[in-house]
Amino acid sequence: MEEQLRKEARRLLTEGEVAVVIGYGWNSRKTRVTPVFITNPDDADKLVFNALCVNNLSIYLTRKYKDIKALGKPAIVAKGCDIKNIVICVSEGQVARDNVYIIGMSCTGVVYKQELWQGELTDNIMPTKCHNCEVRNPHVTDIVIGDKVDFTPPEEPTGMVFDKIREFDRKTPKERWDFWIDHFNRCIKCYACRQACSLCYCERCITDKNQPQWIETSAHERGNLAWNLIRAQHLTGRCTECGECERACPANIPLNLVNSKQALIVKESFGYKSGFDMEEHPPMIVYKPEDKDDFIK
Amino acid sequence: MILSKEKLGALVEQVKISGALFAAPAVDGGQVVMKSVNVADEISFDYVITANSAKEYLFPQTETIAVVEIEKNKVKLSAVEPDAPETVLFGVRPCDAAAFASLRSVFTWDFIDESYTKREDKSIVLSVACTKGDEGCFCTSVGLKPDTTDGSDLQLKETTDGGSFVVEALTDKGKEFVKKFSDVFDDGSADTKAIFTPDEIPGGVDIEKIKERLADPAHYADPVWPELARKCFGCGACTFSCPTCHCFDITDEGDVFSTERKKNWDACQIDNFTLHASGHNPRDTQTKRWRNRFMCKFHIYPKKFTTKGCVGCGRCVRVCPVRLDITEVMAEFSK
Repeated sequence: MEEQLRKEARRLLTEGEVAVVIGYGWNSRKTRVTPVFITNPDDADKLVFNALCVNNLSIYLTRKYKDIKALGKPAIVAKGCDIKNIVICVSEGQVARDNVYIIGMSCTGVVYKQELWQGELTDNIMPTKCHNCEVRNPHVTDIVIGDKVDFTPPEEPTGMVFDKIREFDRKTPKERWDFWIDHFNRCIKCYACRQACSLCYCERCITDKNQPQWIETSAHERGNLAWNLIRAQHLTGRCTECGECERACPANIPLNLVNSKQALIVKESFGYKSGFDMEEHPPMIVYKPEDKDDFIK
Repeated sequence: MILSKEKLGALVEQVKISGALFAAPAVDGGQVVMKSVNVADEISFDYVITANSAKEYLFPQTETIAVVEIEKNKVKLSAVEPDAPETVLFGVRPCDAAAFASLRSVFTWDFIDESYTKREDKSIVLSVACTKGDEGCFCTSVGLKPDTTDGSDLQLKETTDGGSFVVEALTDKGKEFVKKFSDVFDDGSADTKAIFTPDEIPGGVDIEKIKERLADPAHYADPVWPELARKCFGCGACTFSCPTCHCFDITDEGDVFSTERKKNWDACQIDNFTLHASGHNPRDTQTKRWRNRFMCKFHIYPKKFTTKGCVGCGRCVRVCPVRLDITEVMAEFSK
């Protein structure tokens, strides 16, 4: 699979079809993978693909990365879940489909965090998204690398996040409030959640607007709640549950819980699943006369 | 001198009775962090290093430094005294303890920042030498050791049987602490566990060479910078978890009639850190921002102070979502 990937990268760069291949490579100790930007065909052998490749590299396609943009047209090594983010970026006019070459990777799952890797990919170190993955055979690509993966996701979503959501749904509003206040209290306002998210592509975030300061930047209870609510709400119906925000959070705040709960609500209310259709806009940014309104009470 | 783990309960209790805060490694949100504990049972001993550094006890993430109140035609401005409780910082790793010396250098440099010094004066640092570590640890590469005593008032080393610590009082503050809580410390000595030593950084590190290369402005144009740093996506996880990063922002919160002036942690990795009011941003790409952080640790800081700009705790390596490993950059600039 890696050979096939390197061959394709080499071809793309040699023929000048793209200027850079954004993919994964080893760190110097060969213990972790890290994003690499291959511009020379001779460096294509640096590309790797394995269960440690958890990063969603689609972040580098967004306009914040001026120096990466300046390199020229990119090819991106992307798992199905990463491609969902590219789909949203295309549907929201952030990335032109013709301006990115998608190297779709057949995937059998990745680790939740690289630190958990003990040499084998077991169910308990895979994130919830992998247990319910509908795109192990990537869905929007220019080429697919790897053999077809035979996997049917379960009908009822499974995994730790959904177990927690079911448990959460049985709680009282007071208990839920206390749960989130407790978790958000650990927030250090480093904005790793925002920076890791390819759908948080605003060049000027609402929290950076300080005349007036709409969102208090202090890491106190009020400021943390405001930030985390805004982040979640700006992603309602757009979030693809890739899990990068939670993975990036140094304070271990269970952000997937809020993201997946929102996705369930959006699916139920609008029949929309984000990241599949480049032509369709996420429901919260468009109005349709037939939108359900029975949640307005 | 020996401090038995069994007597830690009594120590926590006595410290709490004296009115002081007792912060120690304890589990919160699924990871071991420095936090205020009420009983010794909360304390974790099974950790490489706490996820957060202990700096937040001396340099809080957020604090109010002034209050403005408007009443009809009167504007009342008042300074807010820093809240500086007596604090016992137990189980701090030696690298984090050394970082307090680094923070002091900055906060007492051209201006005495009392909100830091008052807290530090009222704190006592009980470091525990490292008997284990991980791939992120690199204190030996910056000239420290896993049992460095800089910044510690007392240093503890775990005994071979794991039941106690051998205690060494290093400062007057440390000696006074032992005297004050003398019934929990026993005379004697014991064999201690072997000290952990971090692996050599692949390629090797030469701090002097790094300084020399960074002193030459030619490195600004070195194409190695974008190669190394363009993957950074500009969160503040490394700086906020760093025990020596000390930048802060001042912001006003409140309404027209009552405003609090806040001093909050800030991070040089965030894109608007250097954004000018004119709209110009001298560090307009992530590569430049990352280069600045590296230069701060190994060039700008060491030029001004004798304390360490980087203590090698490795948190930035562990928390980085893109695994931008500072040790790889150190190896590159040691060439």
